[in-house]
Amino acid sequence: MIMRLSLSLTFVGSRSLVHASVVAAAMTVGAVTLYITPLYAQSGGRTTADEATAEPGDRLSPEEIERRLGLLAAEVEQLRSGETSGRVPLTKQQRQVLGLGPSAASVYERESGVSFAGYGEMVFQRLGTADQRGRRLGSDASIDLLRAIIYTGYRFNNRFLFNSEIEFEHGGKEVAVEFAYLEYRINQNLSLRGGMLLVPLGFVNELHEPNVFIGALRPETERRIIPSTWHENGAGLVGSAGPVTFRAYAINGLDAAGFTAAGIRGGRQGGAKAKVNDWAFAGRADVSPMPGVLAGIGLYQGNSGQGQFEGTRVGSTIVEVHGQAQIRGVDVRGLFARSNIDGAAALNAALGHVGPAGIGDTMVGGYGQVAYNLLSQGNSRLSLAPFYRFEKLNTQHAVPAGYSTDPALDIQVHVLGVEFKPISNIVLKADYQFTSNKAGSGRDQMHVALGYAF
Amino acid sequence: MAVSATDAASQISRDEALAFVYPGATFSANRLFLTAEQMKDATARAGEPVRTPLIARYTASVGGTVVGRAYIETHTVRTKKESLLISLDRAGKVQRVDVVAFLEPAEYLAPTPFLDQFTGRHLEDDVRLHRAIRPIAGATLTAGAVTEAVRRVLAIDEVLGAADADRRIESGQ
Repeated sequence: MIMRLSLSLTFVGSRSLVHASVVAAAMTVGAVTLYITPLYAQSGGRTTADEATAEPGDRLSPEEIERRLGLLAAEVEQLRSGETSGRVPLTKQQRQVLGLGPSAASVYERESGVSFAGYGEMVFQRLGTADQRGRRLGSDASIDLLRAIIYTGYRFNNRFLFNSEIEFEHGGKEVAVEFAYLEYRINQNLSLRGGMLLVPLGFVNELHEPNVFIGALRPETERRIIPSTWHENGAGLVGSAGPVTFRAYAINGLDAAGFTAAGIRGGRQGGAKAKVNDWAFAGRADVSPMPGVLAGIGLYQGNSGQGQFEGTRVGSTIVEVHGQAQIRGVDVRGLFARSNIDGAAALNAALGHVGPAGIGDTMVGGYGQVAYNLLSQGNSRLSLAPFYRFEKLNTQHAVPAGYSTDPALDIQVHVLGVEFKPISNIVLKADYQFTSNKAGSGRDQMHVALGYAF
Repeated sequence: MAVSATDAASQISRDEALAFVYPGATFSANRLFLTAEQMKDATARAGEPVRTPLIARYTASVGGTVVGRAYIETHTVRTKKESLLISLDRAGKVQRVDVVAFLEPAEYLAPTPFLDQFTGRHLEDDVRLHRAIRPIAGATLTAGAVTEAVRRVLAIDEVLGAADADRRIESGQ
């Protein structure tokens, strides 16, 4: 297709304002003027363009000033936009595949360069002074700069990029690389990714910025059944097909030596000299039939013995399903997760766990949550969203024969709270967590959190 | 991070987008300078600050008849730029939104179904995130930035349309 383009500079408004507009434009193009000035000086006070269009001492005509201003405005606008030249034209076949015409040029067909972002959260916590049966307990309050995160990335060229997250926890007492991977783009819908990866299960493990998840603390299910933040070393595929997105990784398996009755959290290796006598598969698929609506499933499966338990195979499987709808200020989400430990009896015996301290065969947990932004239907940019979450989990849903259950691990939580966002990057949250368990030792908690992301 | 580079909308060039939105059209590329009053008016209409007087607009014509106008809108998403080509029909409704530059990590690029939500919309209160416009899981800042950009362009188009009408009256056309 041949397109004809003509360029013009237009001043809108009354004549008296044209002068002001020219001044404003001159200020706008200041950066370009600075670049031009040395050339002007080097040529004895006249640029090449001056020589071509005006005699020494001549004043430029209004038409010439307007022409030059137009050229500068076009240049400034192009520089401002961040666009680059040299894109690969789309083929007819590509356009047909996409169905939307020309939306097929490479995402990576941009200039190389560094990207930078971050987030952080500080949490004040006060535990109840009595347990659910009214037994008096001491006061317990703390305030913690829970996380301060720096994301960095680098795009090498139109195929390769690097992405990473460095985490400083508890005021800097702990430092961890949460992910650091290289990605190779095979085509528009498929990439290879390798390095330290976030295990792609649940909502929070991959999306844990405080302005994204609701509540001062992450849901218990996504801390105990899906042990967020969970990152391991490996490689795999990342892709999409229509409304479906997926990730499929081979990663180092969990280390069962760290499993306890409270869950598999201690089995995370975090990519630090990780044992890889046993590998695992971790993947997820999500479908988004329309913006704001998402449903998906995640799976982790692999052996976890890591060669440490002679003659015993310890298999770990986690399956989770999740769904979310964000429509007109309402945010509803739910998640259910279940994990199975094959060989739990032998593992307990090898680790010396007895009675109610035994690692469960099965662990289950889930939550449902609803929030509504009271200001969403007005014209305010503020967000004020009360929320409620109900959660139930048990890391000893089933235990091997010969072991008993610890009723304190059969937990039920109601969380009532509110979050306020003055802008979308900053959030202030307050919630009260009613916690109970079958042992009667549940202890309520009150939280106030301050978070940011940029 | 929830989404990958591969599941987001793609970027295209201005020329590609213009040719697709206005097939068979010829284009006049204009750089317009808003007056202070016009910036103030557009800000009030958009409910979003209009920060620059320099506006890049393409006017599409077929057989001498104007069929639409397209604007380049550049803004910051997190710490880096995004530029959109926001194409309007003759009546000032959004025909299509295209990403022509995105310097943030591609994970945050708006997917096509999100951008399609703006099609057919004109400047009304409901064109806001969490109202008529549903968000993107994992890319809230992008969703907000795109929505604000569309509101700015719709408001600027209204303001410029009023100025064009005044000029036509003054010239007796």
